[in-house]
Amino acid sequence: MSRARSFDTVSLVAGIVVIALGGLLLLDRLDVIDIGFGYLFPLLTGAAGAILLAGGLAARPER
Amino acid sequence: MAGVSVRPVEGSEAGATTAPASSPSAPPPVRRDLSRRVVGGVCSGIGRRLGIDPVILRVGFVAAAVAGGVGFPLYAMAWAFVPAEGAERSAAARIRGRRESWQAAAGAGLLVLSGLLVFRELGIWFSDALVWPVVVAASGAALIWRQSTSATSAGSGTAAPSGRSSAPRAATAQMESAGASSAGSGTASAAAAAAAGPPRVITGLPLRGGPALSRAGLGVVLVLGAGLIFLQANGALGALRDVLLAVVVVVIALGLILAPWWWRLVRNLTEERAERVRSQERAEMAAHLHDSVLQTLALVQRRAEDPREVAGLARRQERELRAWLSGRSEPQAGRSVSSALEGVAAEVEETHGVAIDVVSVGDGPVDDGALTVIAAAREALVNAARFAGEHGPVSVYAEVDDERLHVFVRDRGPGFDPAAVPADRRGVRESIIGRMQRRGGQATVHAAPGAGGTEVELVMDREPR
Repeated sequence: MSRARSFDTVSLVAGIVVIALGGLLLLDRLDVIDIGFGYLFPLLTGAAGAILLAGGLAARPER
Repeated sequence: MAGVSVRPVEGSEAGATTAPASSPSAPPPVRRDLSRRVVGGVCSGIGRRLGIDPVILRVGFVAAAVAGGVGFPLYAMAWAFVPAEGAERSAAARIRGRRESWQAAAGAGLLVLSGLLVFRELGIWFSDALVWPVVVAASGAALIWRQSTSATSAGSGTAAPSGRSSAPRAATAQMESAGASSAGSGTASAAAAAAAGPPRVITGLPLRGGPALSRAGLGVVLVLGAGLIFLQANGALGALRDVLLAVVVVVIALGLILAPWWWRLVRNLTEERAERVRSQERAEMAAHLHDSVLQTLALVQRRAEDPREVAGLARRQERELRAWLSGRSEPQAGRSVSSALEGVAAEVEETHGVAIDVVSVGDGPVDDGALTVIAAAREALVNAARFAGEHGPVSVYAEVDDERLHVFVRDRGPGFDPAAVPADRRGVRESIIGRMQRRGGQATVHAAPGAGGTEVELVMDREPR
C-alpha cells in the first residue's frame, strides 16, 4: 500500500527562493544584470521574509 | 572506534521505539552530547556520531573561529539546529513551535522592509524622515490594535451576559418552608456560620497576560519613538524638548501630590476584588453545604425510624464530605453531560424514592459550566422529589449543543408562589439561581400556586472548545 507523501511547504518555498536568488546572482556574475548592494540587501531580506512567512503560515499550533 | 562500531545496533534498538520509520541499519541521528561537553556539546556529539575524537573537531572549530571567525556562526548554528541528547527537538525548533505566529510576523515585516528598500533604490520615495517614522509608527499601531482586539474578544468571552439578570427575584416558598421545618433552624444557622467563616482556599485573581501587556507597551514605545524620530529628522525636536521638560515637571509634581490618593485607590480596588472573590467562595461553600449536609440532615430526621437507612445516609454523606474537603475531583468530571445528568437523577431517585425521567438531546463533555448546571439541576431534582414526588414522576429534559446547555426540571406538584420565599432560605436562591448567576448562566423558576407543576429552567453558554 503506497501512501501519498505530503510535501513540506516551507522547504518548497525556501527552495524556490534560493533558486531564484542563485539565478539572479548568476546573471549578475555573467554581467547580464547588475545587482549592487542597494538591490542585494532587499533581495536577501525578501528571501528571508518569504521563508519565514511560509514557515509561520504552515506551522500548526502544537498540542 | 570499537564503541562506534556497535552504535548502529544501539540506534536500531532505540529506533524501534522512537523512530519506526528508520531502518535497522540506519545510523542514529546526531545529538549534542551534553555529558561530555565543553561548551554546548556540539563537537562531542558530532565526534561520537562520526567516530572521531571530539578534540579534533574542537581544534578545527577554534581554528575556524580564529582564522576569519567562521567557527562562531557555524558552532552557533549547530547548537541551534542539532537537538541535545534526550531532547525531542532542537532549540530553533522549540522556539518555532512555541511561537509560530512570530515567524509569520517577522516574515511579513521583512517582506515589507524589502519592498520599501527596493522602492527607495528605484527612487520612488518621499524621504527617509517621513517613511521610516511612518513604518515604525504603523508597526506600533498594529501591535496596539492587535492587543486591544484580543483583549476585547477575551473580555466578551468571559463576561456574564448582561441580559442574564432577569431571574425571578424569589423562588419556592413551599419547598423552602417545608425544608425549614425538616432541617431545623439549628442546622441552618450552623451551616450559615460555617459558610460565613474563612474560606478554605482563596483562588487567585485571574492574571491578565504579561506578554499581551508587553506587546501593547512595545507598540506604544514604537509609536512614540516614531514620533520622536520624525521630529528629530525635521528639526523640531529642540522646541519639543522645552515643552516636554515642562510637561515632565508638571507630571512629576502632580504625581507627588496625587500619589497617596492613587495608592489608596489601587489598594481599595485590590481589596475589593479580593473581597468579591472571597464572597463568591463563601456563596459556593454555602451552596455546597446546603446541597449536601443540610439535605442529608433533613433526610435523617425524616427517616429517623429506620436506623439502617440513617446509617447509610450518614456514610454516604461522610464520603462525599471527605472527598470535598480533600479537594478530590467532581464525580461528574470527565463524563458526558447526559450521562452525568442521568447519574445525578439516579442518585436522587435512589435517595428519595421518586421516579425521574431523563431525556437528553445532543451531548458533550462536562466542563466547568456544565458542572454548575448539573449541580443546580441536582438541587432542583431534590426539591422536586421532596415536595412534589408523590404527584408523579419528575422530568428532566436537556438540550446540549456546542453553544448552549439548556436543562428543564419539571414536576407535577401543586406549585407555589416564588415571591413568598423567606429571605433566609438559601436552597433555590443560592444553590440554583445564585450558583448559575455566579457562573454566568441563568436559572428561572416557572411556578405559581395551583398551577399544577413547577419548572426550573437552567441555561448556560458552553465554553468554546
